[in-house]
Amino acid sequence: MQSLGYFGPFGGVYAPETLMPALEELEAAFLAAQMDSTFQDDLQRLSAEFSGRPTPLFHAQNLSRELGVEVYCKREDLLHGGAHKTNNALGQALLAKRMGKLRLIAETGAGQHGVATAMAGALLGLSVEVYMGEVDMARQQPNVFRMQLLGAKVHPVKTGGRTLKDAINAALRDWMTNVRTTHYVLGTAAGPHPFPTMVKYFQRIIGDEARAQILKKLNQLPSKVVACVGGGSNAIGIFTAFLDDADVELIGVEPGGQGLDTAAHGAVLARGTVGTLHGMRSYVLQDEDGQIHETHSISAGLDYPSVGPEHAYLKSIGRVRYESATDEEAIAAFHRLSRCEGIIPALEPAHAIAYVLRMAQTWPRGTVVLLNLCGRGDKDLQTVLEYTR
Amino acid sequence: MNRYEARFTALRQAGRKAFIPFTILGFPDRARCLRGIEALLAGGAAALELGIAFSDPLADGAVIQQATHEVLAAGFRVRDALALVRDIRALDANLPIGLLVYHNIVAARGPERFFDDVKAAGADGVLIADLPPETAAEVAEAAKAAEVAPIFMVSPLTGEDRLRQIGALAEGFLYVVSRLGITGSDTNFDEQLRATLARTRRLSRLPLCVGFGVSTPEAARQMIALGADGVVTGSRIIEIIREAGDNFPTAVQSFCAAMQRAVDEPAAQAV
Repeated sequence: MQSLGYFGPFGGVYAPETLMPALEELEAAFLAAQMDSTFQDDLQRLSAEFSGRPTPLFHAQNLSRELGVEVYCKREDLLHGGAHKTNNALGQALLAKRMGKLRLIAETGAGQHGVATAMAGALLGLSVEVYMGEVDMARQQPNVFRMQLLGAKVHPVKTGGRTLKDAINAALRDWMTNVRTTHYVLGTAAGPHPFPTMVKYFQRIIGDEARAQILKKLNQLPSKVVACVGGGSNAIGIFTAFLDDADVELIGVEPGGQGLDTAAHGAVLARGTVGTLHGMRSYVLQDEDGQIHETHSISAGLDYPSVGPEHAYLKSIGRVRYESATDEEAIAAFHRLSRCEGIIPALEPAHAIAYVLRMAQTWPRGTVVLLNLCGRGDKDLQTVLEYTR
Repeated sequence: MNRYEARFTALRQAGRKAFIPFTILGFPDRARCLRGIEALLAGGAAALELGIAFSDPLADGAVIQQATHEVLAAGFRVRDALALVRDIRALDANLPIGLLVYHNIVAARGPERFFDDVKAAGADGVLIADLPPETAAEVAEAAKAAEVAPIFMVSPLTGEDRLRQIGALAEGFLYVVSRLGITGSDTNFDEQLRATLARTRRLSRLPLCVGFGVSTPEAARQMIALGADGVVTGSRIIEIIREAGDNFPTAVQSFCAAMQRAVDEPAAQAV
């Protein structure tokens, strides 16, 4: 490979021998595509005409008035498909097409990445099969139906905790078996190199747009940029544009589940230790033997026992601060944004909103906060209804 | 000379090949695991390959996943697995014993402590299923310092450059996977595997043992005919242990004996 994709001591390639040629082939195709004007033109045209980029930056004035800080939302919830996942799925599907692959596979937690991959597959004429934990299929039923409508086959994963971690294992196994014809569209900025770097490449448009939009609007940068972190693709997507702006505080919000003092959470950077899972070195929730723990979050998209390696690195150098919000706080934030601004957020970014709601009173009046509203909440109505009961 | 060299040299001089059975340490429980291994030795196994259970065995198919899951659910820890290896070593002083693990098991103890513990338990080699040669240098060095052979996999898609990289690090034998994918019963023997074996043979002096889908004596014979020095069988053994109930030691022993006979038959008869 050209590079092993380390971020400090994190990342790398920890994959079985049968996957190595696929990773080499993918890295080479990714590097070539960056220089290929046809690929870039196709990506830009479809990002605009199919996905709906650029997404707006919305000044949440009602919430801002109530909190005494200025909250700006990057509206990835308005992207086609209903979440930021389309950026990455479209990019990787175009790449797969360029590589001559006929079939896409994907893992999905909340279902948004599965839907995005199914959309991209339908658009580009590639067959799509999606691995989804049984538990997640039950709690994100509407997305299962959407994937099927788009022509994708959804495979229930019945091993382990039957959530995102197990779906990734199943997708990797499929890829190892069918590597010649198949591209694995990994949905988050995690996994073996080149995935973390490639997913960031396709997601950084979020921050690039948001930075330009807020500069145009306010003629200043935000004081804080806040995003939820599961695997971390929406967060790395919005943070990347601001990494060199030393005065901009970057905050990632992890799923606190039922509380960090319980076993039922997914706050990997807060409570995890360094380990190897899914082809990368990063933080993981594990026991002293290195066995990976099951996690819990009300939001299927954040229910993952590791995190993208660049987040592990950004934590280690102190550039990003990682906080958490509990299920209860996320549900409260879900309701608050719905009533206050007329926007039903996904439960994933509801964690980022919850953090802002909790902290705003400690920040100076007028603090400018940029929040990545990375998905819409239609998929979560059932979960929220059941939680309220 | 380590036990792998001694065993493969002796086999070669006798014109024989190696049958290497695989099972998960602690499956179905400690006592029955040990009894199953006694039966494998009675059946004439040339070496053993033993898995330490890991929560996310992404190179393994359904059969080994399920066994792994049960072992962990029973509370069987890495220290229990290593203690069991010690008991297996006590059964036979000359048997090559290899461990199959995932990187996080090694990383959690730290490579130095892990390989010291492996050596103390009496194992001869370690294959880390998710550690390619690109990232293996430090771990391979720690293994060699503890006199444990770092064992590597070669796949039909492994090219010459990477074969050289693997050859520079590997000891013991090379585990050649018969086909793409994960462990399990689907057998493959084709011209591509023959080419893989030939290419690997040109670039390495290590014995070549074929695994993945070698579940019957017929498949084992074919692998030898394609040029292998031995075969590794895992999922099928776990299925036999499950299916045979209380009779499993007899079933395991006769399967092992049939496999060993198959690999020892002259390749010419097989095709």
